[in-house]
Amino acid sequence: MTEQDILVRLVEDSEMQACNLFHNKLYKKSRSFEQWQWEFKSNLYNSSSVPFAVAVNQGQIVGTQALIPIRMIDRTGVYWTAKSEETLVDPQFRGNKLFERMYTVLFNYAKEHNYVNIWGFTPAAKAFTRLDFSISARTEQLFIPFSQKAISMLLAKGTSGTQSTIKRSLRNIVAHAGGRIAQSVAAFKISMQRRVKLTGLKLENICDPTDETAEVCQRFIDRWGGRTIYRDSNYFKWRFFTNPYVRSNIAGIFFEKELLGWVAFSLGDDGMGYLIDLMVNGDESRISTESLVRELLLEAVIRTRNMGAYGIRSWHVNEHPFDRIVTRVAKKVGFFHIKRGHAFVLYDCDGGSSRSAADNFNEWYITRAFTQGLHG
Amino acid sequence: MSLPPEVQYLHSQILNHLKLFFAPKVTHLFDSHLVRFLPYNDAITIKEKIIAIPYDIPISSVPVEPYKVDFSGTKLTLWNRIDRPHNLGWTAIPNELTPLWYRHKEGTLIPGWNLFGNLYKLLTFGEEAESIQRDSHGRFVAAYSQRKECGLLEVPAFNEATAVLAAGCLGLQEKGEPFLNLKDAVKAPVISLSHDCDVLYGNDFWTQAVRAFRVIEPLRRLRFPKLSNIRWIAKNAVIPRRFYFDNVTGMIDLERSFGFTSTFYLLNGTAGRFGARNGLKPIPELCKVIPLHWGKGIHYNYDTFLNSDLFASQYAELQSVINIRIISGRAHYLRFDPDKSFSFLSQFGIRVDESSGFSDFIGYRNGIAGCFQVFDRSASKTIEMWEVPMTIMDSTIVRQYGRDALKVYSAMMHHLSRIGGAMTVLFHPGAFYNPEFPEMIGIYHNILMESRRLRARSLTAAEMINQIKDSVSA
Repeated sequence: MTEQDILVRLVEDSEMQACNLFHNKLYKKSRSFEQWQWEFKSNLYNSSSVPFAVAVNQGQIVGTQALIPIRMIDRTGVYWTAKSEETLVDPQFRGNKLFERMYTVLFNYAKEHNYVNIWGFTPAAKAFTRLDFSISARTEQLFIPFSQKAISMLLAKGTSGTQSTIKRSLRNIVAHAGGRIAQSVAAFKISMQRRVKLTGLKLENICDPTDETAEVCQRFIDRWGGRTIYRDSNYFKWRFFTNPYVRSNIAGIFFEKELLGWVAFSLGDDGMGYLIDLMVNGDESRISTESLVRELLLEAVIRTRNMGAYGIRSWHVNEHPFDRIVTRVAKKVGFFHIKRGHAFVLYDCDGGSSRSAADNFNEWYITRAFTQGLHG
Repeated sequence: MSLPPEVQYLHSQILNHLKLFFAPKVTHLFDSHLVRFLPYNDAITIKEKIIAIPYDIPISSVPVEPYKVDFSGTKLTLWNRIDRPHNLGWTAIPNELTPLWYRHKEGTLIPGWNLFGNLYKLLTFGEEAESIQRDSHGRFVAAYSQRKECGLLEVPAFNEATAVLAAGCLGLQEKGEPFLNLKDAVKAPVISLSHDCDVLYGNDFWTQAVRAFRVIEPLRRLRFPKLSNIRWIAKNAVIPRRFYFDNVTGMIDLERSFGFTSTFYLLNGTAGRFGARNGLKPIPELCKVIPLHWGKGIHYNYDTFLNSDLFASQYAELQSVINIRIISGRAHYLRFDPDKSFSFLSQFGIRVDESSGFSDFIGYRNGIAGCFQVFDRSASKTIEMWEVPMTIMDSTIVRQYGRDALKVYSAMMHHLSRIGGAMTVLFHPGAFYNPEFPEMIGIYHNILMESRRLRARSLTAAEMINQIKDSVSA
């Protein structure tokens, strides 16, 4: 078998079920076809073809690489980017440059469709750097344990198979002791928080997509600069309200019926609470941004705890001014900052224009909404 | 010739069930000339290509010789088998030992077991009518059931029989013989969630007293006192809503994230150990927390059992703080009398009841995973009241099956996904997420995840009834 025996191209409708089965077989998962379709086919770009590359050998799927089109916004307007997803090559077919070949198909697709850049999160950044992706930063965690189970889960995710039993046991004992202290400190800090009391200010669930979210997004960028996902009603509908995995709860903060911001949170299938998204744009003369952020963080913390979460996790990614505020307030509310996460990789499709260049990564405002939505 | 009211009643219930859980073509076939209820002697001599259901076969008080049959990717459990008709030309499908059908060479099909007798007895509470046993609360509990003895409580006999009839209709029409598979004729199962709000603040006298008793109770057996209870006494003394009222918001948020809804049954009225632990006080605030599309109903207080004055008083008090008309309810301690309670409740405007379940075991009290109209046996008429039996209660499934509770739930849901039906699950706020009961933590979340995996549709009890009514008017 030579490299050329393996066909690399965009997926055809008749192969979509097989792509999902390929993923399920390799990862031992039970993702439904409906979930596959939501993730890759029902995207917001409305293109006739799906940016999902496949490697096919004798009619069998042996590799996949996908892009999820995501619309972003900066001060110059709204533009399209794509999230890299579903990087998978059958172990038997490694060494055939399938990853590179699939990405060649997708780079062409991105160019044709005017995507400004391609980005993603990966534990295997090396493969991406070979394709001229740059590693811009790593995600970091903001974390509150509500119970000891949260510590066990965190440890399980970070356990390396090469560690000796003694070393692992010692690490567990220390982590659990630290976890107990963290739990108590966080519980104390949460109980000490006083909710903002301002006539006209109230929290309400957002249960349907609304155009107001796009306005908040626009004002957010006007104020804080940089770039972030354009969270209009279509995005909310797709990303949150029709998410076939877990639908986030979204608490909006309103001042006299005007939406100032929101927090999206969920309970993942693993029992952990996740702070998925947080965005605020208020009028400092009425109430400070910090106060609004604190209100929303507390709402997410208390409600995920009431949902039975073992803990709650959020992201701190870079030095975007709003991300810095969120991190600062989160620590006051009881979150702990853990420097562990995945690499953020970025590829410029338009030849390094200021909009997409990797060296201004601190201008990106990133939340867990940038993930593909498995946890909400 | 018009059919006896009992037969018309069962025909209606099967039709309602088909509307909820099967493709419309099945309902049309069942409601056509293809299915007929007949006396046994007519059924075996009719010699037409129809499904003939005998309605006059006597039924024993004890289920006779249960047997299992493979059907549509699951196993059905049938009992009270009928013998192959004595006249010539009848064969058993799939076989003589475990018959689903007897088929005449002219095409007539009759069920291989006493379908009418079994279903009618189950829906009309025939089993408990034959028994005088009742527990200290006056209830017929699962332990007294003959089906419990035979391991049949977890068999949704009505759903199984309806599924067999549905496949029979489809097969008879398409191929002249019954199918043993429903293929795409069955809709996704329904999950119907509800919550009895017995305790909303954990600092009431009785809850705290029970904890205090639990501290010292082991001393009677010369064991070390259970000091952990002191922690819960203290915790709820300081934060009464924690693990109770707060759990209501937690359950709503969790259900919302699955796209599910539920019904909250609110307990007010007389206080006491068996009564309303928190009275009316938390209910107005609770009603603000419950979203519009979720259901609200009355949890009939213990002492209102067949007591018109007390029931009217509780109903009026609750209605004064609820902005919708109360039409659904469930009895606190599942205390009800199948002969008297339904007509009693209907006088007060209750139209949907969820009291028919067991507190000591999980299972289908009426052999149905779904809903049915109540039949008054003494007057031989259908009452203006729908029953949606409660199948699974939070602590009951965990007490009964321990660590296998979720496996059991999963198996029961899988079974319903093959034959159609609604799983009704009751979770009390205090059992949802409460470190005082560590064995319960995560159970509700896992139940919802499993339901999502099987693509269950979420409908409250009232919504199920409305869907049936809507399909009638359509």
